[in-house]
Amino acid sequence: MNKFSQLLAAIAAGLAVFVAAWFFIQAGHHGSVPAIAADAVAPAAASPAKGAPIDSSKCILPTDYMRAHHMQELNKWRKDSVRDGNRTFVNPEGAHFDKSLNTCMGCHGSNPMFCFMCHEYANVKPTCWNCHLSPMEVPQ
Amino acid sequence: MSQNRREFLKKAGLGALAGLGAAAGLFPAFALEQTDMSSFTDKPVPGKVRWGMLIDTRKCLGNCTECIVRCHHDHNVPDFGKSKSEVKWIWKSGYENAFPTASTQFQNPEVLERQVLTLCNHCSEPPCTKACPTEATFKRWDGIVSIDYHRCIGCRFCMAACPYGSRSFNWEDPRPKVKELSTAYPTRMRGVVEKCNFCSERLVKGELPACVVSCAENALTFGDLNKPDSEIRKLLAANETMQRKPELGTLPSVFYII
Repeated sequence: MNKFSQLLAAIAAGLAVFVAAWFFIQAGHHGSVPAIAADAVAPAAASPAKGAPIDSSKCILPTDYMRAHHMQELNKWRKDSVRDGNRTFVNPEGAHFDKSLNTCMGCHGSNPMFCFMCHEYANVKPTCWNCHLSPMEVPQ
Repeated sequence: MSQNRREFLKKAGLGALAGLGAAAGLFPAFALEQTDMSSFTDKPVPGKVRWGMLIDTRKCLGNCTECIVRCHHDHNVPDFGKSKSEVKWIWKSGYENAFPTASTQFQNPEVLERQVLTLCNHCSEPPCTKACPTEATFKRWDGIVSIDYHRCIGCRFCMAACPYGSRSFNWEDPRPKVKELSTAYPTRMRGVVEKCNFCSERLVKGELPACVVSCAENALTFGDLNKPDSEIRKLLAANETMQRKPELGTLPSVFYII
């Protein structure tokens, strides 16, 4: 084999490695469009975020689930509504809810001690009421 | 002829480089990082909301503070009673303070004495969001520069970055300093920065901002700057208007008729 064909083979090998690496990187980035970090991405519905009417007639998810996972659910709602402008939650039954603490308080606010009883017992100190008005502070 | 490892790697590297060049030529998106150019333009972008406000300083005269009182009540803005730790969302500045770089030579003395209503400009190119280390303040999809109070760590970089002094810091717990607690909006806590939010909580409900609604003189117009047939765009087209410190390139969304 002469020198030239060796060079060609090496370049072909390099190209093959590059193409493989490129497809690997592309697969990792599938569908993502780089955006400016500080700018929020528009919500799926291009219109200005409109919330569903506040429906507090029933709980968004089964009681057992909410008892164990309300904190995760609240954090998710917070991110969706504050940062992404996605304000409507649809539960498995198809009911629509506004992603707002007011949706919860429409029902649970009727018992001013609702949050505190359990948090006191479990000795957890969430910071919600540093800013949000707790049912104890809102006149019923 | 022998080929050692070093020689092979050199040539393979050359091949990869050639591949990179070819790929950059074939797929331009690969060569340059994609940037959403609509964020950098001062021209209206169809289909994208950019809320804006037009303040007619000819109508906003005298000592009326109706909009300020209404806004500060609705948003539970505390009153610490000291100008050093003052918290303000909307306030009145002297003409020369609001437009420090506008010419005042031989200007109409009546204009120079005007008190100009000032608030967060909700810039298209906000310097504050770039200063925020936690991305607590960010430009929303509808052009509103918003603060996520949950994330704010109180570093006040945004206050230093804002050229309009639109941001205030809560040096003390604001809750006891709110005169009349409005139950429709949360308060803030000690150690966070706050400012005007263009009444995003009212926009969600399809209502106009509180200051606009409360103005008896109709001096404030609110609307979508990217919609050519909106009232604000018609007024902007029909009147001579100013922005605050336009030379900084922040592209404010608040305009003034002088």
